[in-house]
Amino acid sequence: MRRASAIEKEAKEINTIEDLTGIFESLASTQVAKVKNKVELSTDFFKLLWKRYSSIRIDPKTRITNRQLADADAKQAYIIISAEAGLSGEIDQRLIETMLQSYNPDTTDIIVLGSHGANQLSQRNVHYVRFFKVPESDHYIDVSPVIDAILPYSKTIVYFEEYVSLSVQNIRSIDLVSSMRDMSEGAEEDIMTAYNTIFEPSLDEIADQMEITMMKLALSQTILESSLAQAASRFNAMAVAKKRAGELIDDYMLEFHRAKRSESDRQMREVMISLKKKRQRLGAKR
Amino acid sequence: MKQLEVIPHLNVIARAPFIVYYEGKAEAVTATNKVGTFDILPDHADFFSILSPGEVVIETADEPISFQISNGIITARNNEIMLFVNI
Repeated sequence: MRRASAIEKEAKEINTIEDLTGIFESLASTQVAKVKNKVELSTDFFKLLWKRYSSIRIDPKTRITNRQLADADAKQAYIIISAEAGLSGEIDQRLIETMLQSYNPDTTDIIVLGSHGANQLSQRNVHYVRFFKVPESDHYIDVSPVIDAILPYSKTIVYFEEYVSLSVQNIRSIDLVSSMRDMSEGAEEDIMTAYNTIFEPSLDEIADQMEITMMKLALSQTILESSLAQAASRFNAMAVAKKRAGELIDDYMLEFHRAKRSESDRQMREVMISLKKKRQRLGAKR
Repeated sequence: MKQLEVIPHLNVIARAPFIVYYEGKAEAVTATNKVGTFDILPDHADFFSILSPGEVVIETADEPISFQISNGIITARNNEIMLFVNI
C-alpha cells in the first residue's frame, strides 16, 4: 500500500485541478451569456439592414441569389469554422468528420477558420487552401479577408457548430447565400427608387455595398453561433472534468484514510511485537 | 379654437452589429459621406447613402449623442432614420 503522505500530496494536486476546472467552467458560462447577447443583437441588425436593402430592389432575393460571383465551372468552397484553441471538447472533431463525409478534393477547396480545425485537418492529411484566425473582437467581427477569399468560388458552404442548448450542440452546414434569405424572412418593405429617393453614391453602388455587407454579416453570424457552441462544449467538458476530479478526490481520501489506518495498525503491531519479545526475554531470565 | 401645431421629429435607430448606439426620437442627425458633412432634419426627402469615416451626431431633446464610425450606411424614409455603422 502507498504511503498516506504520498496519497495526500496527489489528492492536493487533484484539488487544484478541480479548482481550475471550476474556474474554466464559470468562464465558459460567462462566455455563453456574452455571445448569446451578441447573436441576438447581430440578428436584429441583419433584419433591419435587410429591411432597407429589400426596399431598393424590385426582387432583392432573386438578385442576391443569382449573383454571379464566379463562372459555373469554378470549384466550390467549404468554410470550416473551428475554435482558435483547444479546450473546446470534442465538437471540432465532430465538425471535421461531418465535413469530410461530403468532401471531394477534385471539386472542393477547404478554407479553415481557427487553429484547432487546421490542426485537426493536418492530422488527417487533409489539404486546405487558406487558413484564417477566428476574427473576433468585442465590437465587430472583421470577415472581409474571408469574403475576398470566397468570391472566386461558385458556391460557398459553411460548416459550423450550432448552439441548441447548454448541453446540446449540433454540426450544421449552410449555403452562405441561401442563409441570407432565411435570416431575412418577413423583413421586406416598399420599394425606394431613384425617382423618389436621393442615392449617394448611385443605387447600384449602394446595393453592391449592402450585399457584401450582408454576406459579411451572414458569415459573422455563423462564427458567433460556432463561438457559442464552443463555449457551451467547453462548459460541458469542464463540468465533466470537475465532476471526475471530485470523484477522484473522494477515492484518494478513502485510500488516504485506509493508508493512515494501516500505518497506525502497523505501528501498533510493531509496539505489540516488541512488548511481546520483551516479555519473553524477561520470562526467560526468571 | 386654434389647433396645437405638431412638431415633427425623427425616429432614429443607430446600430453596429453588437452595439446599439441610440434608438429613439431625435431632432437632427449629422454625418459625413463622400460629398461632405450633412444634416438630416424632420421631413427630409428619402435618402440613402454610404457613410465615410468620421463622427455621427444625433441631436436629441436632452443632449447630443456622438460617436466615431469607420464606415456605415444611412437611410432616411418618412422621418425614420437608420444608421448601420462599423460593418
